[in-house]
This record gives sequence, C-alpha cells and structure tokens, in this order.
Amino acid sequence: MSLPPDYANELSTLNREILKHKPADVLQFCANHFLRRLESQRAEYLLAQQHSTANGKGMAESSFPGSNPFKSSSSPGLPADQQARGMHSLEEEDENDQVASPTASSFPRNIMGATNNNTNSHADSFKAGSSPPAAASAGTGAMDSQSFPSNYNMNRRTSVSAESLNPQSSVNDNWTPPFHKKTADQQQRLRAAVSGNFLFAHLDDEQSTAVLGALQEKPIPAKDIKIITQGDVGDYFYVVEGGTFDIYVSASGKLEAGPDGLGKKVNTVSSGGSFGELALMYNAPRAATVVSTGPSTLWALDRVTFRRILMDTAFQRRRMYESFLEEVPLLQSLTPYERSKIADALETVKFPPGSHIIREGEVGESFFLLESGDAEVYKRGVEKAVKMYKKGDYFGELALLNDAPRAASVVSKTDVKVAKLGKDGFQRLLGPVEGIMRRIDYEADGAVDPLAT
Amino acid sequence: MHHITQHLHSNGHRERQSNSSLGDRQDKKRSIFHHESKEEKELREADNAQRETDKQFITQWEDETKVLSPDDIVRDPDQKQVGHSTHLRLQDFELIKTLGTGTFARVWLARLLSKQGDSNKVYALKILRKVDVIKLKQVEHVRNERKVLAAVAGHPFITTMVASFQDNDTLYMLLDYCPGGEVFSYLRRARRFNEATSQFYAAEIALILEFLHEKEGVAYRDLKPENILIDAEGHLKLVDFGFAKKVHNHETYTLCGTPEYLAPEVIRNTGHGTAVDWWAFGILIYEFLVGQPPFWDQNPMKIYEQIVDGNVRYPSAMSPDARDLIGKLCAVDTSKRLGNMNGGAQAVKDHPWFRNIDWDELYYRKRPGPIVPHLRGPADTRNFDEYDPEPEGREPYTDELKNKWDKSFADF
Repeated sequence: MSLPPDYANELSTLNREILKHKPADVLQFCANHFLRRLESQRAEYLLAQQHSTANGKGMAESSFPGSNPFKSSSSPGLPADQQARGMHSLEEEDENDQVASPTASSFPRNIMGATNNNTNSHADSFKAGSSPPAAASAGTGAMDSQSFPSNYNMNRRTSVSAESLNPQSSVNDNWTPPFHKKTADQQQRLRAAVSGNFLFAHLDDEQSTAVLGALQEKPIPAKDIKIITQGDVGDYFYVVEGGTFDIYVSASGKLEAGPDGLGKKVNTVSSGGSFGELALMYNAPRAATVVSTGPSTLWALDRVTFRRILMDTAFQRRRMYESFLEEVPLLQSLTPYERSKIADALETVKFPPGSHIIREGEVGESFFLLESGDAEVYKRGVEKAVKMYKKGDYFGELALLNDAPRAASVVSKTDVKVAKLGKDGFQRLLGPVEGIMRRIDYEADGAVDPLAT
Repeated sequence: MHHITQHLHSNGHRERQSNSSLGDRQDKKRSIFHHESKEEKELREADNAQRETDKQFITQWEDETKVLSPDDIVRDPDQKQVGHSTHLRLQDFELIKTLGTGTFARVWLARLLSKQGDSNKVYALKILRKVDVIKLKQVEHVRNERKVLAAVAGHPFITTMVASFQDNDTLYMLLDYCPGGEVFSYLRRARRFNEATSQFYAAEIALILEFLHEKEGVAYRDLKPENILIDAEGHLKLVDFGFAKKVHNHETYTLCGTPEYLAPEVIRNTGHGTAVDWWAFGILIYEFLVGQPPFWDQNPMKIYEQIVDGNVRYPSAMSPDARDLIGKLCAVDTSKRLGNMNGGAQAVKDHPWFRNIDWDELYYRKRPGPIVPHLRGPADTRNFDEYDPEPEGREPYTDELKNKWDKSFADF
C-alpha cells in the first residue's frame, strides 16, 4: 500500500528543509516546521472561506472545469484528483460574455485607488507569524480580499490596433506633415492647451513643432453642431480656440434618437480645453457627444498625422544613431541587431553654449554622439581648443571600457544636442565592452586574445 | 494535370498551390454544369483527389507529432507536415459551436466529415471574411498571422496550424482544438492563482517568448489571459497570432495590443520590438497573482498615463520574488527591462521566482499542468462560453475588391 501523496509531499518538503538548515535539534525543528505549515494552510483556508461567504455563492465542485488552482502545494504536477480538494475555496464570478471594450462607455467605474488599503486582518496576522519557509509557501492566495477592487471590468478585453504604419514606405512616399500657419499667440495657447496631456508631454522640440504645426483650424459656425458623436469611430483630437462646448454622455453608450438622446450633460469645455484625445491612439468609439454652444473655433489633429510625425522623427533619429555608431571603431563588431538595441537606449541631452559636456580628470560614465551643434575640446594647460567636434562626431567612448579619468574637456560652442549612452546601459544590453572587442580580435586576426592575459 | 498529380505523390512535402490556379479551379467548377472539357474534368478530379489526401492527412497529423526541440522547429519549416495551404473546403467540416469571436474573425469547433461516416476528428477552425479583413485594415496582420503560425508549428505551447485554405470570399485556418478553454475563464472564476500555479503558467509563457523572440525573431504583441488556452493535459497553448510579426533587427510602429497590456513605447510610438512581450509578461504575472492588471482606469487614456509612468503598486501579501520579477519586467526603460537585456530570456528563466522550475522537464511536458480540465471527450466544449450567433447581412466581396486584394491572400 502506498502512502498518500499529500503526506509524501509534506515529507519531501521537510526533507529539503532539513538538508538546508541541518538542525541540531531535529525533533524540535520538525515540530516547528509542521506548526508553520499548519498555520499557513489554515490561514489560506480561512481567507478562502471569507471570499466565498462575503461574496455569496461558493463554487460548486462540479461546475469548475478542472482541479483547484488554489491548492497550497508547491508542486503543480499532481494529478487532478489530488488537487480537487479545497474546491470550496473558489468563488464563482458572474460570467458576462458580452465583449466589452474599455473604450465603451459601459466600462465600469474605477476604484483602483482602493488597491492599497490594506486593512485586512488576516493578511496582517499572516505576516506577523513566523514567515513560513519558501517551500511551504501558502502563496499569494493569502492576499487580502478587502484590497481587491470589486468592480474591475471582469469581461474579456478587446484588442485594439491603429492603422498600419510602415516607416520604410513613408520614407519612399516623401510624406511631410501638413503645416498650418499660426500666430505666436495661437502657438502659445496651443502649447499651453496640450501641456497637461501626457501624449504631448514626451515630445521633443522637433516633434512638438511638427505636431502644433499640423493642427488645423476648424471654424464652427453655429450652436448645436455635434463635433463628435458618442459611439462613432473617432479620428480627430480637438483643442478649443474660442467658444464653449457641452459634453454629453448617454447611458446606452451611443447617441440615441429623440430629445433626450444626448444623455446627461457631464461637462463643458472652453478656450484652452481639449477633447477626443483617445482618437490619437486608435479608432475607438467616442465615449461622449460634444456639442457647440455658439459660433466658435477649434483646432483639429487626426491620428494618422500625429502618429506618423512621432514615427518619422523616431525612425530618422534611430537610423541616424545607427549610422553614427557604425563609425565608432570600438563598436565596429556590433551586429545590426545590437546597434539597433543601443540606438534604442540612447538618450538625447541638450547643452546651451559654453557648457562642459565632459570634464578633464573626472571619471567617465558615458559615451556621447554629437547630434547637432559644435563643441570644442580643451586640455589643461593649453589655452586654445585642441579640437573641434561637429555633427556625427563622438567622444568619451573609452568610458565604456574603463574607469580612467577623462583625458580632455568637451565644451559646447553653440547649442548642442548629444545622444548619450551610459556604461551601465551598454553593459545591461550587450554585456561588457571587452567582450565586444574580443570579437573583433578573434575575427580579424585569428590571433590569441589580447585581453585574455 | 501532371504537376498536380505529381505533388500528390510527393510524400509529405507539399507544394503550395498558387492562388491564380486556385481561382481558375473554382471558376472551372462553377461552369461544369454547362460543359466540361477533358482538361477541366481532369483538373476537377485532381483537385478532388488532392482534397481527399488533405483530409486523410489532417486526420493523422496528431499521431505523428511529438514535441520538437526549438532548434528542430526552426530547422526547415518547409519540410513540416503541418501548416500548408490545402485543397480542403468548408463543406468538409461540420461547424459545431463558436469558441471565440474577434472583430473580424470567428473560431468554430469543427468536425471533419468523411465518407466513412462521422469522423471523430475535431479542430478549431478560424474563419475570416476577406471583406471584413480589408475593411478593418487587417490584411497585413492576417498575412503575418498565417506566416508566423506556419513557422512556429510544432512548439509544445503554441497552437498548431494544421492547414489553411480559402474559397471565393473567406480565409480559413485549421488549428488544433484545445478543449480546456481560456486561462482567462479559470482566472476570473478563481479570482487569482496561487503562486505555484502562476509560476507554472508563467514559466511556459517564458518558454514561448524565448522561442518566438530568439528562434523566430517574432514579437507576439497581444499577450493576455484571453489568448492562452489550456489543453487536455493542463498545459498552455498560445493562440491568436493576429498581431504577431517577424521584426528581425528593426523596430516596428503600428499600435496594437490590448489596452491594459500595452507597453509604454507602444503608446509613445517611439518604435517597439520583442521587448513589448516582456512588459506584457510582467502584467500577466501580476494579473495571475492579483486577479487584475496593475494599471487600470475606466478612462483608457488614464490607463496609458499610468503605463507611461510605470509605477506598479503591489498588494502587501505578494512575495518579494514576485514583486522583484514584475518590477524588472515592467521597466519603462527598455534597457532595464528583463528579457530585453544581455542574456535575453535566459535572464528571466534564471530569476529566483522560477527557482522551482525544471525548464527541460517543462518543455517536454513531463508532468501535467496544475489545472487538468475535466472532459467527456475530445469534442467537449463545456469549457468555452456561449457567443452570440453571427450577424446576418454581410457585405459582399466584390470583383473589384477581389481583383485588388486576392493576391494578398495567396498564401492561404
């Protein structure tokens, strides 16, 4: 007759613990071990009970298609019948198979903020007890139930996708973003209007200028014109230049016929405000209807233009970085894939004229590629600049290799933009530079590794 | 006739029929009631013969499959038995039940009909209307999906595309049926998985990502519990490769995925690659352990704002190892994201949270998974939910569309 598998499991866990800790007092160690096991198993059991009683119906054993994923054993390979115990600990959610998009207005209210209210006593008492050894972990099944936001959208989530963007084809078709001239005042107002929007906050100057230039003026001649309609597919993002607009949300998720079809008025936007920003991501249905209250003016920006500006600038910058990197002898042996990874990690830094980019004598941490502007190289004891750097030049690459102090200072002569790569970042992505250099030496000479000794 | 019969006899290795000849074949078929020339008759008979061979093949493919090593899967994709364009037709199948729906596709449980009576062979048949694919601008995605599925066939944790075919207005992908249903359903019912279960599933996903990224150069781009099924032995199968793309050395820009799982670089449109899957992997582990993803709001723009910030908050009871792993996967800076750094997927597999995983044993499916579905038979659908019937009144696939687009579907 064979021993029950649960028992065998417990014993093998204990065996591991004994081997690990090599206790002097074996009996006491075993007693402590099983007390901890019992404590954690009971804690989990109680928590599970709490789940099912607090939320109504427990799950009937027959309705759950399979064995229990909450079992406390740490060996997932057990046969189903041995795992079927503890079924009562599972709770059945009301199934609602309607495919709800989070962009639909039926998306439930957020109470994500409740996540950190850890007021659950079980979780606390569990933590207060002597922490069980890892092998006997009760798992995160013991996570406090109160902290769980009860109305997170439990439905299946719909995938989203925007128009296919292919940088190669956009290089070929010579696309340039539309440009609509604006006064300095208008520019200022637009900049302020989008400054709070995270989609714009990350743009660099070049992108920001292109995006603001692409905003197109859209006069609204009268009141009661629907700028966007709830439920319709969205293409444009709008900034209010002048006038006010009312925002309505209908409970049904789309504009309905009849006098109350707009639904409830939830807000008003006026000059400096904006709406419809989700349309800059992908073509989701509009979550509200926006109606003019009188003659007014809007600025409009469509998704394809916005995303293409972002893509084109990112694409060009990456190709520029890659071509700069190709010129660096130290990095000659990088594969195109590795170069593309490094290009991805480069960080743009700007310096006004007269700034020290690197300082002679300091320990170097980073390597720089000069993207735009001019910089001069100075050495201590030499009055005049000993060298001049321009676009495409690089400096400080020895910092990737060792901690030797900088041999010279580099000072910006004009406004300078550099792409910076830290030694840390390089090593995280590709490992030590020495390894990269070894590759060259092997391949080029077939000689003995010069760094090996 | 000769080239067709020839490849009938070419054992195992199957040539692809070009699309133009497929079209010809169907046009010919339509005209047989008026008059059939000798050549037409031969073509039709050859087509029927090939169709029977194809039917025979799809009843047997499973018997011959064993788990291939990652290197064997990539060695010579053309030599694979599965994943080719075939002469099958919709009429060869009985559609039993809808298993899932997307915006432009529907997956059916389908039983193969055969002369010998009812065959007990069932499949998941993914049906895509060409007109919907075109209208929703998903032509590139659908082509990528077919290509990637054919290339990855044979992986133990990825759905196998047994065959593909098409008719005048529809594309079909014949996939293995995974009777356990979606991990999503189990997770929502259980609310969350315990640590051991989460580790087991996460480990299988890590093996999938390692394979897709490092052997195939493919970014999957839509990781979430809805796209992971459980097979009869309790192992995972990744399905829905609609957004999967071979990215090779270069970044890609099209925004796609699922709101809660989008990586920051996708939202910011700075160019993305396989690293997006490691981000989503961190979100997935979090959702396994907590029951919901870390970034959520009723307003999707607020989700994206949180994602770009990248500040993950953990419930107090989450183990330190789990936090550490999720934190390293959900790093906004891709040069700090585990899986994307030096060492690749191995660095993820070496994380302490996976210390109990025997990776080799896992890959070769030596033990059943933590949830083994209860099944009455191979065609049991109890683990799948009910879906609304297909809406009536479809837009027609006009000759104009056909002339413009049919060549894009030539692979099917």
